Amino acid sequence: MKKILLIFFVATVAVSCVDDLNTKPEIDLTLEELLKQDPNAANGILSRLYGSFALSGADGPGSSDIDDDAGESPFLRGIVNLQDFTADGLKNRWGDDGLDQLTTTSNWDENNKFFRYMYNRIYYTIPQANNLINVLGGVDVANKSQIEGEVRFLRALAYYYLIDCFGKGVLATEENFGQSAPLPEVSRAELYNYVENELLAVEGLLPDSNSYGRADKASAQFLLARLYLNAEVYTGTAQYANALSYAEKVITGSGHSLAPEFLQNFSADNHTSPEIIFPLIADADVSQSYGNTTYIVNGSLSGETMTLSDYGATDGWGGHRASKGWYGLFAADAAGLAASSDKRAHLFWTGGHAYEMESYKKWSDGFPSIKFRNSAFNNPTGTNTSFSSTDFPLFRLADAYLMYAEAHVNGGVGTAATALQYVNDVRSRAGATAITASELTADFILDERARELNFEGVRRSDLIRNGKFTGASYTWPWKGNTLNGSTIPEHYKLFPIPQRSLEANPNLTQNTGY
Amino acid sequence: MKNHVQTTLFCLLSLVSFGIYAQQSVSGVVTDVSGSPLPAVNVVVKGTTTGVSTDFDGNYTISATSGSVLVFSSIGFETQELTVSGAMLNATLTESASELDEVVVIGYGTTTVKDATGSVASITAEDFNQGAIVSSDQLLTGKVAGVVITNNGGAPDAAPNIRIRGGASLSAENSPLIVIDGIPLDVVNPAGVNNPLSLINPNDIASFSILKDASATAIYGSRASNGVILITTKKGTLGETKYNLSISSSMSEVSDKLELMDGPTFERFINEYHPTYANLLGVNGVMYNTDWQDAVFRTSYSSIVNFSIAGSAEEKTPYRFSLGHNNTQGLVKTNDYERLSTTFRINPSFLDDNLKVDFNAKAFYVDKNAIDEGAALGNIVSMDPTKPIYDENSPFGGYYQGTREDGGQTVLDGTWNPVAMLMQRKRPEKLLRILTNMELDYSLPFVDGLRAVVNVGLEKSDADIRETFSQNAIATYRVGGFNPGENYREDQSITNKTLEGYLAYGKDFDGLLQSIDAQVGYSYQNFQNEGTKKLFQYNETTGVREVLVNENNPTNRYYSDLNLQSFFGRTNLNFAGKYLVTLSIRTDASSLFAEENRWGVFPAAAVAWRLSDEPFIESLNVFDNLKLRAGWGETGQSNISEAVGYYPSYPFFQIGSATSKYLPGENLYNARMFNPNLTWEKTTTLNAGIDFGIFNGILSGSVDVFKRDTNDLLANAPVPPGQAPASSFVDNIGSTESEGFEVSIDVQAIDTQNSSLNVFANGAYAKTTITDLNGIQQVGAGGTLPIGTGTFLLRHAINQQAGAAWVFRQMYNEAGEPVYNAFADLNQDGKITNDDRYLRAMRPNYTFGFGFNFNYKQLSLSSSFRGQYGGQIYNARRLTSGFTQRPVPINTQALSNVLNFYNGAANPIIYDQIGNVAFSDYFLEDASFIRCENITLGYAFEPLNNGTKIQASFTVNNAFLITKYNGQDPENFGGVDNEFYPRPRVFTLGLNFDF
Repeated sequence: MKKILLIFFVATVAVSCVDDLNTKPEIDLTLEELLKQDPNAANGILSRLYGSFALSGADGPGSSDIDDDAGESPFLRGIVNLQDFTADGLKNRWGDDGLDQLTTTSNWDENNKFFRYMYNRIYYTIPQANNLINVLGGVDVANKSQIEGEVRFLRALAYYYLIDCFGKGVLATEENFGQSAPLPEVSRAELYNYVENELLAVEGLLPDSNSYGRADKASAQFLLARLYLNAEVYTGTAQYANALSYAEKVITGSGHSLAPEFLQNFSADNHTSPEIIFPLIADADVSQSYGNTTYIVNGSLSGETMTLSDYGATDGWGGHRASKGWYGLFAADAAGLAASSDKRAHLFWTGGHAYEMESYKKWSDGFPSIKFRNSAFNNPTGTNTSFSSTDFPLFRLADAYLMYAEAHVNGGVGTAATALQYVNDVRSRAGATAITASELTADFILDERARELNFEGVRRSDLIRNGKFTGASYTWPWKGNTLNGSTIPEHYKLFPIPQRSLEANPNLTQNTGY
Repeated sequence: MKNHVQTTLFCLLSLVSFGIYAQQSVSGVVTDVSGSPLPAVNVVVKGTTTGVSTDFDGNYTISATSGSVLVFSSIGFETQELTVSGAMLNATLTESASELDEVVVIGYGTTTVKDATGSVASITAEDFNQGAIVSSDQLLTGKVAGVVITNNGGAPDAAPNIRIRGGASLSAENSPLIVIDGIPLDVVNPAGVNNPLSLINPNDIASFSILKDASATAIYGSRASNGVILITTKKGTLGETKYNLSISSSMSEVSDKLELMDGPTFERFINEYHPTYANLLGVNGVMYNTDWQDAVFRTSYSSIVNFSIAGSAEEKTPYRFSLGHNNTQGLVKTNDYERLSTTFRINPSFLDDNLKVDFNAKAFYVDKNAIDEGAALGNIVSMDPTKPIYDENSPFGGYYQGTREDGGQTVLDGTWNPVAMLMQRKRPEKLLRILTNMELDYSLPFVDGLRAVVNVGLEKSDADIRETFSQNAIATYRVGGFNPGENYREDQSITNKTLEGYLAYGKDFDGLLQSIDAQVGYSYQNFQNEGTKKLFQYNETTGVREVLVNENNPTNRYYSDLNLQSFFGRTNLNFAGKYLVTLSIRTDASSLFAEENRWGVFPAAAVAWRLSDEPFIESLNVFDNLKLRAGWGETGQSNISEAVGYYPSYPFFQIGSATSKYLPGENLYNARMFNPNLTWEKTTTLNAGIDFGIFNGILSGSVDVFKRDTNDLLANAPVPPGQAPASSFVDNIGSTESEGFEVSIDVQAIDTQNSSLNVFANGAYAKTTITDLNGIQQVGAGGTLPIGTGTFLLRHAINQQAGAAWVFRQMYNEAGEPVYNAFADLNQDGKITNDDRYLRAMRPNYTFGFGFNFNYKQLSLSSSFRGQYGGQIYNARRLTSGFTQRPVPINTQALSNVLNFYNGAANPIIYDQIGNVAFSDYFLEDASFIRCENITLGYAFEPLNNGTKIQASFTVNNAFLITKYNGQDPENFGGVDNEFYPRPRVFTLGLNFDF
């Protein structure tokens, strides 16, 4: 019996190995294990960074990288919410604790979760990029400088939205990654300079063309053009010459061309469109998200008044409708839209819907936009899916055309004939009548941008740049939470810094007015 | 199964009768000191298995030889031994000194009620709740001051949510550590199991010890911050072999339904409020009147059979064997739960009783049909009552289902028929679990009083979940047809290993130090959980459900491994029989933390002063017991796996799922967030208490006050933006402070020959306030509101109770009616923003329980009640189904039912849910309640000639509920009342045989 006891004590010592405290996951991998298992692992890590603009997380559409709702918080969904629903052309009816405040541009505050979603996504993507730069620095991978260029481009893209939406923040880079002391706040101008320098640097690192979905030279040039076009808003100093020159680089040097048909850019097969410079990819089977174009397509559909299968969808969420702030630029009633030669005027669903948006909460008030759809342009009677397979054209050539024209009109740079030509190229592609040189004004370009680019995440910036967003000089339905629109305060040009972020980093300060 | 039990019973009964053979008949009467006859006293011939019990009049007859010794024993009385010298032998038993000598399990040893220095509550079988008990937590509900058990509803294995003195943590675990026969359980439940305490047969439990304060719990160190529940199972006994058979049969019904509109009322409502949609009522103009609640709920029946044998082999090796079968139907159709359990425990001794062995094996098999609660409990609310359940022309297996045409294709429309949702899906969740442990307790020969104890435990469980759909199931309908068959599969295997060894030294002395009792030891636990899943996805092109293949992890394998190791020591010192001191220390390591931060040290100390043993108190002749206690201790908390997984301290890459790819043709790898600085959360508790007993046990009780500070809180907190690849992560930040008191009182109001009445009551106050969140004012704390997405009610905020509701103050008109969408502008800036919201505590601070046990001759009546005072509940049903716009179809061509606006169940002033309406404090209601947990009427029949004792009982569980709450049930752990599985009212008939 003593022997048995002895055996037990020996057993005690044997299994009680302190090494057992070093447990290892068997599913997750260390970087070394990952690189050993998949020589292309760098592409997989890079894919994740690209995906952070469209996916909610790495574990399916129900997973979230940030501690916010997986469905509501993805980056692209934030771009649409903050850029389009706050502007004149689109309204949403759900509410969802803060969405009504966006859609009615009223009662904004630092605790509105939709501002936080955007802020958190920006500051999720940036440190992921910083981490990746550090991680790749220590290992041997092919194409290292190009990959670094892509990572830095994506980081600059995230910073661009910080500059545009929030106007300040911290400058987190690979150099201060991992630092636990709160970083200092930097101004909008400093962020602008950083992004400008980064983009100028990566322009040289990026290839002339890249595989689909990945950034190339034109992507960096396009973002530079957009940055310069808005420079006066961001820094107080206009940069129209630079805006025009980078728009021109994209137009003449990238090899992209306008798609023959407008709709080709917004259909499930839009990856074949020659016009898209930088897409955010969606795929109904392998790249699912409630915050990629699924949000735009399903959100604009409802079985109550529409046939979902006409748009390749199986789910309609009945949320978004355009307002006359958008379709009013084509015609004054549904019949007028139908009769318009401009094919873009046909991309509203009018049956069962009222032209006027008496109530933004009522689905049948206002026409849903059917610009984005999940059916293929070349085979529109294909399959219907619950997630969208339509890529989001974050940068496309028509925008560069219009940027050129705007830089010319506002800054007197470039040539008038080219500017007019570009605008008419965009219009005639859609079937709209050409305009004359005298019609090419800043106001016209702003309207043309609405007709062409609404729902593409640029409208709020466009209105601010043209002095039309705040104040009462220009109103639209439900601006300032009134049916016919009313003034909104000047400080709404920037969103409030989320309360939680202010608390997490005491160096951060709130934007004026909030 | 039943046949088996019967056969076994028969054999056993035969054995008993053969065992009695006559030598000389000895008979007599057993009485207490007052001369009252004592029934049910065990009379055993010493050294044999021959034994009988006294009858109701205290009489017994037994066969024994002259000169042999009879042992008389009964609970509550001192055991007496008398030598047989003739045909008559009467015995007078004296009552045991008191309950003060009752043994209390305290972890790595025992103490007595008298000598306990910490806040420890001991609950034994006689105190247990009665009736239809499916899981062991139900035995305890309402019985212990400061222990609140709020199950998630009425499903047979609903999660119990046990809180001792409220929770102190934010993102880490708040449930107590549960230790069964010395083996600490994993906090992770096997797949498909919601209630860990459903995995032990309540009938096998002998006692619970609840360690509340840190001086008692610190011996469990890092896992003890939330208190410890020690469960001790029944053992074999020396002497006569005892057989027990208990059978009960129950019927349950829904105690309170939601006040929804019936068909005709709904028709009226639509015609009044939404006449343009009246065409959507009924089916082709035919109006039905379906009560969807009745269609989904049922009167359910349950049966419990338990059989046990307790005895001893060769008169010196106690053993116990039990078999249990529990078949419980949930109130929701198809929600069936069946459990088979068996235990075997044997306690042999070797080496002249110097080596005591305790071998304990328990096996369980559970088979449960899990229902889609959301579909069943949500759809019964929204489903239009003018629609039928069945439709013989329906392609959906004969169930009515709304459809609409979309581009020439038939698609599902409106709420899915909840009856079909239940009937067309099967999800058996099967589990086999084996828990074994062996404890060797060896008295070392070379030092008197020194023992070596080794406890080895192994827990193994295998879970198997398989979800399938029948033919023509609505949920599987896609354009193109149905997809019957498998929809989900999970196989899981858990292996938990425990090895603990300690040296114990116990010795009595003369002089000031009267006794010492010390332990020093080591503990090792490893929890391994792995499994595979088969996931399915509808092919977006063909509509066919296919296996979702992730090439990088083809079986969707998951794996986790948690390792905990500790060293501990404790000593109990008794000075002069009056002054008691306990000192303990434990040092723990967890694999969750990086090597540098792995070890934590948790000390504790307690003193007690037995005032009633001081002459100046003794001379008062009032107190049987009076003891003052004071304790201090530090405990820890590391359980953050639910928030951040098992490997939160080191960098790892996650392989993206098959649906989360991005760049075409590339895998996706995600760098997981990690925090190498993570370490223990630390809780310091100060506790003071008094135990008292007056007037020979007529009144006894205890009072405890405590103060608890938790620091280095493991909380999910925002990281400074941009400085880590996450928006928030668990870190050791912040503090909470708790304070409270507990009072327990027990009154032996009547104690006579024929009758007794015992009344008990307990009450507790516990309040936890967040004092620091590292500069953050508030963080989200969940509380999803069922409207839109991402709508959360609760916040953890500074100077507030954890999980407070962040709401607007509703405006009311002069008539007291709410003004729609009007809120108080608290900061008076002329606009309603989030800055006008305020925080309102949700959790109740006061909880209580009370009840009585009454006996009159053979009749017994007992009841227990429990409740809470204060606390808030969010009536989410009013939010989702209490506004007049609700029935209007959105995205569909179907109407949704609502609460009845005509009888006050909802207010028609609330016509829509826009903007801030969901955050109105209008939806918060007082959650105070008193629930009658059970009423039991029992009858003990005269023992049969062969000694068989039969007891019959009738119990009503959840007999009634007193509350002001307008919804179904204010007792809600999450605080948001939505899709609640109603708690059943259960009527149980039970029979108990002892022979």
